[in-house]
Amino acid sequence: MDTAKPQLMDRPKAEAKHAASEASGAALVSALDAVLGVQADVALDAVPVPHRRVERWKYTPVATWWKDVLAPEVNTVADAGCEANPVPGLDAYRLVFVNGTFDAAASDLPVHTGVTCMPLSQRGDAKRQDVDAFSPEGSDWFAGLNGRYSQEGLYLRVAQGVELDHPILIHHHTCGAGAFNVLRHDIAVALNASVKIVQWSTAATGADGSVNVLTRADVGQGARLHIDKVQDEEGTVRHIAYEDIRQGRASHAEVHTITVRGAWVRNDLAFRINGQGAHAELNGAFLPGEGEFVDNHTTVDHRVAHCTSSENYKGILYGKSTGVFNGKVFVRPDAQQTNAYQQNANILASDKASMNAKPELEIYADDVKCSHGCTVGQFDSDALFYARSRGVGLEAAKAMLVHAFIGDVLKGLAVSEVRLEVEHRLAEKHGWDVWSHHPNDDA
Amino acid sequence: MLKINELKASVEEASILKGLSLTINPGEVHAIMGPNGSGKSTLASVLAGREEYEIEGGSVDFDGADLLEMDATERARAGLFLAFQYPVEIPGVSNINFMRAAVNGKREHEGREPIKGKAFLDMVKEKAQLVELDGRLRNRSVNEGFSGGEKKRNEIFQMAMLEPKFAILDETDSGLDIDALRIVSEGVNAMRSPERSFLVITHYQRLLDYIVPDFVHVLVDGRIVRSGGKDLAFELEEKGYDWIKEDIVA
Repeated sequence: MDTAKPQLMDRPKAEAKHAASEASGAALVSALDAVLGVQADVALDAVPVPHRRVERWKYTPVATWWKDVLAPEVNTVADAGCEANPVPGLDAYRLVFVNGTFDAAASDLPVHTGVTCMPLSQRGDAKRQDVDAFSPEGSDWFAGLNGRYSQEGLYLRVAQGVELDHPILIHHHTCGAGAFNVLRHDIAVALNASVKIVQWSTAATGADGSVNVLTRADVGQGARLHIDKVQDEEGTVRHIAYEDIRQGRASHAEVHTITVRGAWVRNDLAFRINGQGAHAELNGAFLPGEGEFVDNHTTVDHRVAHCTSSENYKGILYGKSTGVFNGKVFVRPDAQQTNAYQQNANILASDKASMNAKPELEIYADDVKCSHGCTVGQFDSDALFYARSRGVGLEAAKAMLVHAFIGDVLKGLAVSEVRLEVEHRLAEKHGWDVWSHHPNDDA
Repeated sequence: MLKINELKASVEEASILKGLSLTINPGEVHAIMGPNGSGKSTLASVLAGREEYEIEGGSVDFDGADLLEMDATERARAGLFLAFQYPVEIPGVSNINFMRAAVNGKREHEGREPIKGKAFLDMVKEKAQLVELDGRLRNRSVNEGFSGGEKKRNEIFQMAMLEPKFAILDETDSGLDIDALRIVSEGVNAMRSPERSFLVITHYQRLLDYIVPDFVHVLVDGRIVRSGGKDLAFELEEKGYDWIKEDIVA
């Protein structure tokens, strides 16, 4: 694939193993082998089980992870009480998964020329995407778990020139205790084809355990892929998600990640830009409340010339919540004329909240335009006073500033019904009535 | 309407207002003039409820209520308005939604339903005419990218929308050219009524040619040192503030 000399970012880092974590990891693997059965032989030994002394997990509390997930249970669709359609008014094809199991009755698959769309378990002999040196399955322990146990998810092939008429909504619902739900979405969009995907995760109030979702998408030459990803999980589910996006020449790929609710969320996005003239876009908004933890790790790997990437993550942290942002941008020696933009802005809405933000740019080409900005601050007190001096209440004034702050991220969502529903759910979670009667664009 | 009695206030341990007293009756327009650093803008901020200022003494009665007990939102809803010297830019919040939240805040306080879309837009149209506010500015983010004159016109537009009982204009003339000054002043004058009072804070007598005050006060070092009719402003313009300062010492 890439014949150039390996760069710093490819060099294997000697990551130390941590005995207690290794023991927890091994215990989980043997429990899962028994309950779920091994689907693919992924070498989990090659990478350390995550712990706080590994850079990628430095700010991510993994130690607390184990206690909920060491006794995995297989829950079935029958246990579900999941809402019929999480996005009212959205005209979409639907794949519903409950506790990692495909719910055929609740789903509505596309029947469309040039589109092969089915649950992964029903794909028969059709080939899954290869796991290669850039796949997270080989470099990340939790992704490795996904590789080892995943048997369900979306299998999607969009043929050359086909534009799917409606978005595909993947709704995953978790309920019950001891969940260990693994999904792998396997997507390929061929030459000049186009598709929009909405990934929506929910969980019931009493749910605990973990959800592990890996999305692999190959975006062909001139193809377009939009993913709107919304995480709105109650209970104490720990959610780990990987997006492994490979882009061909002049392709366009976007992932928008909105974390409405989640006790413990880790998103790991990697865009490999392999063809010239491609554009990658990754935006996110996270608004953790009391006790919640949200981590967004992103990698954009500019491997060839004349590509652009744009990244915009916004965080607002309430109560005693914690956020992490790590944004890596690699510009390889051949990737001249790259234009890469990264922005991460955060507001600490409480003095007990904390945010760990780290932009990491490694640039090996000399004719490039790369900019990045990272801020952690508080609500603008002048703006709050100005609004209050007009009779707007303090909480309403803050809600207004929040809406403005994450407005550009929400506007980026590919499907407008998703945006409206996200706004509604955020307003509900945070008790903002001000949003409901004047969304910003109705004037 | 407003009765300030021996008001003392400080910011970051620096005492700014040192026993200021002033009574404003319904329908009256009072002007406060004074040199830089005399406490004019502090007075405006303290009355509007800015929390950075510490009240160290005195009282303010607003229409029978204790103003200093209310927070900024409550003061606005009770009918107090401050036209800012430096209107704040709020990127991403459209002017029109900002005003709708403000108008509805006031209506909620009065126990009324939120305003209907059509009624609100009609009201916006009517009030915008008062200060010749460009229609495009209504949908732009609050004050973002507005010229100095547009910002000040927007302040008066907001005042017209909220119809306060008592309005403080904090150096509304600063940064305005003659035409904008005329437009802003006409907007203010159109709102003068026997029930509404104004406190006009300014450096220059010029504004008072347009908004003619009933009383003029001179603020020096946190106190009102002289009060008079509108002629006092002319005297100040002619002789400068040093004249008053010397006068006090003497």
